[in-house]
Parts: sequence; structure tokens; C-alpha cells
Amino acid sequence: MPDGSLLQLEEVSRIYGDEIQVHALDRVSMSIEAGEFVSIVGPSGSGKSTMLGLLGLLDLPSLGTMWVTGKSVRDLSDYERSRLRGDVVGFIFQQFHLIPHLDARRNVETALLYRNLTPGERRRRALEALDVVGLAPRSDHRPVQLSGGEQQRVAIARAIVTEPKLLLADEPTGALDSTNAENVMEIFQELHSPLRAIAIVTHDPAVAATAQRRISMRDGRIVADEILTPTTPAGGYGGTMGRGDTP
Amino acid sequence: MRSVLDLISVAMSGLTARLSRTLLIMLGPIIGVSAIVAAVGLTESAKGDLQAELAKLGTNLVTAEAAGSFGTQNPAFPEDVVDRATALQGVQRATATLSLTGIVTSPYDAAATYYTAFPTPVLTADANFLDVMEVDLRSGRWLNDFDYRTGARVAVIGLDIANEYSYRPGENVTIQLNGLDYAVIGVFEPVKLVTNFNTAVLIPPLAADNDFDVGLEANTIYVRADPDKVSAVEDALPVAINLGGSDEVNVSVPSDALEAEAAADATLQVIVAAMGVLALVVGGVGIANVMSISVIQRSAEIGIRRALGHGRGLIAWQFLLEAVAVGFFGGLGGLAVGVGIVVYFSRIRDWTHVLDPVLVVGSYEFPSHFLGIPTVYVLGMTAALVTSVIAGLYPSVKAARLEPLETLRLG
Repeated sequence: MPDGSLLQLEEVSRIYGDEIQVHALDRVSMSIEAGEFVSIVGPSGSGKSTMLGLLGLLDLPSLGTMWVTGKSVRDLSDYERSRLRGDVVGFIFQQFHLIPHLDARRNVETALLYRNLTPGERRRRALEALDVVGLAPRSDHRPVQLSGGEQQRVAIARAIVTEPKLLLADEPTGALDSTNAENVMEIFQELHSPLRAIAIVTHDPAVAATAQRRISMRDGRIVADEILTPTTPAGGYGGTMGRGDTP
Repeated sequence: MRSVLDLISVAMSGLTARLSRTLLIMLGPIIGVSAIVAAVGLTESAKGDLQAELAKLGTNLVTAEAAGSFGTQNPAFPEDVVDRATALQGVQRATATLSLTGIVTSPYDAAATYYTAFPTPVLTADANFLDVMEVDLRSGRWLNDFDYRTGARVAVIGLDIANEYSYRPGENVTIQLNGLDYAVIGVFEPVKLVTNFNTAVLIPPLAADNDFDVGLEANTIYVRADPDKVSAVEDALPVAINLGGSDEVNVSVPSDALEAEAAADATLQVIVAAMGVLALVVGGVGIANVMSISVIQRSAEIGIRRALGHGRGLIAWQFLLEAVAVGFFGGLGGLAVGVGIVVYFSRIRDWTHVLDPVLVVGSYEFPSHFLGIPTVYVLGMTAALVTSVIAGLYPSVKAARLEPLETLRLG
């Protein structure tokens, strides 16, 4: 039964294939509370990408139940699930995934479409979000005119502009050099609030160490779930590309 | 409502971001719609011109020709044929002619051999000829009482033959009919309803009888009827003029041939318009094709939009709307191009352009306007929109079915 958590998984399995079944997630139970700062770590194939798809409402459990803000996702239509996803979750991807033909402001505005807002309101909120990540002056630049770090900050603005309860980041520093990675992680620290939980899926220990809670996965199961004392690592945040884990 | 506006702006930005590609796939509807509009508009303009000319010429000219049953030599009408015809109710005026056969006409002696091979029609004409044909003299004078009474060797000739013989107005020349000199006294303007007259030589009946022994009876009569009694006159004329004359009479209305010409143009209109529809269909296949590729190229964008909370339905609508916009703007462009073609060619051909043509398919005539807009434009736009909707269905469904997890490459 739902227990009032932001996200709650109960005995959730995600199984791929029919004849030869692969248990990407194997009877996982866990929950994320409002305002938490969680990292999900684990080696390649540990099931953390599958977990990300489920937490982001992009995927459905094969077995078990998952509640988001008290609603069982299995009972929702595609439209309702999309709505819930747009309201509750803000995504940040390793590859930024900005829409190339739109400038920074309109990329951010994309998250505000179909919400019955006037163009002026949408524009105002998009510029506010860009201001939070320090990119308001570059709001009319297209993605190709921005550096990797700037693109990721636009993506963060896009994720927060809808005021989601959960920021869900997938290797947010994976495609960045260490300076930009540090910058992005500082933004995450600033964005973390009692109203905004953050979940970062990563295999960079330094990134994981900035969270308050670390969920470690292996072979589709949670092997450790620890409360951490947040630290800023002396070595800085490493760019993780080419360190063995391929995206 | 705002969501619809959002959708439209998203679809537009998708199209303007790939402007050259968008313009290319717009060519289909542009070509298709412009072909339809131009085909219908041009044939209507041509027909309108023909009809204006017909109205000017009048469709009330009726011809009756004496014809014999098999074996009758030189069938002819009674001598008082013009009076008989004029007495008929609904007939305004009449003129009778006799066409002579076996006459070699030449401008001078030495040319006779040449003109034997290209005979010029020689006919008798009475005083009513110009009145009934509703033409004027270009130069000179018409046959007068003296000419008719004495059978003077004078001739009035058609404009074409005057040009052929290099006749200049006011020149005193003769032409030779079977070697006999006839004085050219006048040239008449072209008769558009009976173009044969334009190459003809007209002489007094008495002169024809004196010189060529053809008698004084006519074998063809032209009648102007009251416009609303044309077919009644057509029916009554043979009996009225032929009692005691030759066995048979062939009656015709020369303007019918011109009207048939206009009808033939209408058939052509359907063919060209059908080619326009074909262009639309091919264009639709092009739209479907290009947009399917576009969906694959934009799979990341689709994944992002899904992650941002846009449902499958919105994604489908977005791509469908892009296709419809191509059809809509392509259709508008096609209308503009089509109207341009109609106006341009009408100007070249000296027609009055018809921009609200009546579309005729088979025997069905469409109303000329639909909701105040010329029907052809409404149909052209509808065809373009329907094509683009059908073309957009497959790509949009394909886009909606993409799984965001697969296109976003997580982890």
C-alpha cells in the first residue's frame, strides 16, 4: 500500500524478453521521500538504467507495484502517465538532449507546452529558470552555440521550470569536463530543497558522495542503502566518459 | 484551446527549422492545386471568350441547304425562297446564295493553271447578305440594283481572298472567272460564323446565270431567327421553303459547331484537372516518405517531449499537423500559382480571365461558389488538405509509437 512517499516501489521486477528472460530489476522495494537527495550507483548492467526508466515513469514494472505521489502507475492511461511525468519529474540526461532547432529559451519552454499558459507567461517562467542556472543572457542561443556545460545548464533549467517534486538525473556530469561537472553539481546542491527531491543515477563515486543517501545496485537488486554525510570530494568531480562504463 | 495553439506553434517550428525540406515537399500540393485551378480557370476563360464571341455573332443564324435524293442534279430552292422564309414566324431576315461549281478563279490569266488546283468558292449573293451575316464592308461598295438588274460582271470578295490576290482597297482590278473579267468592287469583313465566305467571290445571280448558265434559283439560304425561336425556325424552315422545290433540305445552326468546340475544351479541363489530382497523390506520397524519415531523425526530440510529459496523442498530433500545414500552405501557394497562370495566359491570349470558373465533371455542374469562395479553390484546398492528412497519418502514428526509453539512450 502507498505510504505517502514521493515514489514507492514494492517488489518491483522488470523483465525483458519472452523465452529467455532477463531480470533487469529483481523484486526491488524502496521509496524516495519528498526533498531527499539520492544517488543510485552501480556498475554497468546493475539495473540502474532500468530503475531510472521506472522512476521517470517512462517504463512500467513487469511485476510488483509502483506508486508515484500515491498513484499506482499501472492504473494510469498513457495520457495520465505522461501528465504525471510532466508534473512530478524533471529529467536531466547525460547527453543533454536539447532540441537542436530551438534556442535555449524555447527548449526550456518545451516543458511548459500544453499547460494552458499564455506565451508571455511561458516565456517569463523560462527566463526565470534560465536565470537560476545563470544562462538568462544566452537565452537566444541554439544548442550548437553553447558549450557542453552550458547545454547541461539549459537542460537543468528545462527540468526545473515545471517545478517538479523530483529531479531525475542520468549521469549528469558524464559528458562534461571536471570544471563543468563541478559547476553542474553545485547547481544541484543549490536546487536541492525540501520541496524538490533529487535522484542522480551515476557510477561516479564523487558524484554519488554529494548525495545524502546512496542506493547501490548490483544484478538488479539493491545491495546497499546508506545515509551519507555529504562531502565535496578533494579530487573534484570526474568526467566519467571512457572509464569503463559505456552509456 | 491554448493547447491547440501550442500544437500549431510546435508544428510550425518543426517545419521552419527544416525550411528547404519543407518547401520541397510543399511542391506536391503546389503543383497539384495549381494544375487544377489553372486547368479549370483557363478552359473557362477560353470558353468565356468563345461565348462572348458567340454572343456577339449571335447563335440565331440558321442555314438551310437544298439537297437532292440520290441522283438529283444541282438541287435548288424555289425562286421565291427568301420571301417564303421571311414570311415564317420568328424569322427576322434571310439571304439566299447559290454556290457555283467548276469555276476557275484567278487574279490574272497566267495564274489560272495554279488556281485550278486551288479552287476558290464562287457564290451568288443578294442584297440582304451583309445584313444577315452582320458584317460590314472593309472597302468599296456592295452589289447594287443596277448590278442585280443588268447582271453586271462585278464581284465582292472575302478578306482572305483579297489578301491572297494582294488586292489593295480602292484599286481598280479585275479577277477572272473561267477567263471572264469581273471587276472587284468591294471587300467584306470576315464572317466568323461561316468562315467559308472569307475565301469566296460573290457575284450577282443574273451575271452567274448569263455567264455560267446555272439558273436563278439558290441552293442555300441563311436566316436570322428570333433568339428564342431558333429551334422552332430550324424545324419549320424546310417545309416552309421547300414546297415544290427539291426533295430534301439540310438545316444547321453554324454556332453549334463553335459551342461543340467549347464542350471539347471542357473535356480537356477534366483531363488536366485529373492530372492535378495525380500530382497531389504523388505529392502526398512524397510528404509521407519525407516525414517518415524525419520521424526517425527526430526520434531523440520525440523522446524528450515524451519525457517532458507530452503524451503519445500530442506527439501524433504534432506530426499530423506538420503534414497538414504542408498541405495547407502548399495548397495556398498552388492557388496563387494557378490564379497567376490563368491571369497571365488570359492576358497573352486576350481573354477575359475567369477566376470563379464553374467546374463540370461529366454532366454534373458544380455550383460556382461555396460559402462565398469559388468552388474550384475550395475543392483544390480540400484535395490538398485531405491528401496531406492521409500522408501524415503513417508518420504521426509511427512517431507516437516510439518508445522514449529506446530513443533517449539512458544510462
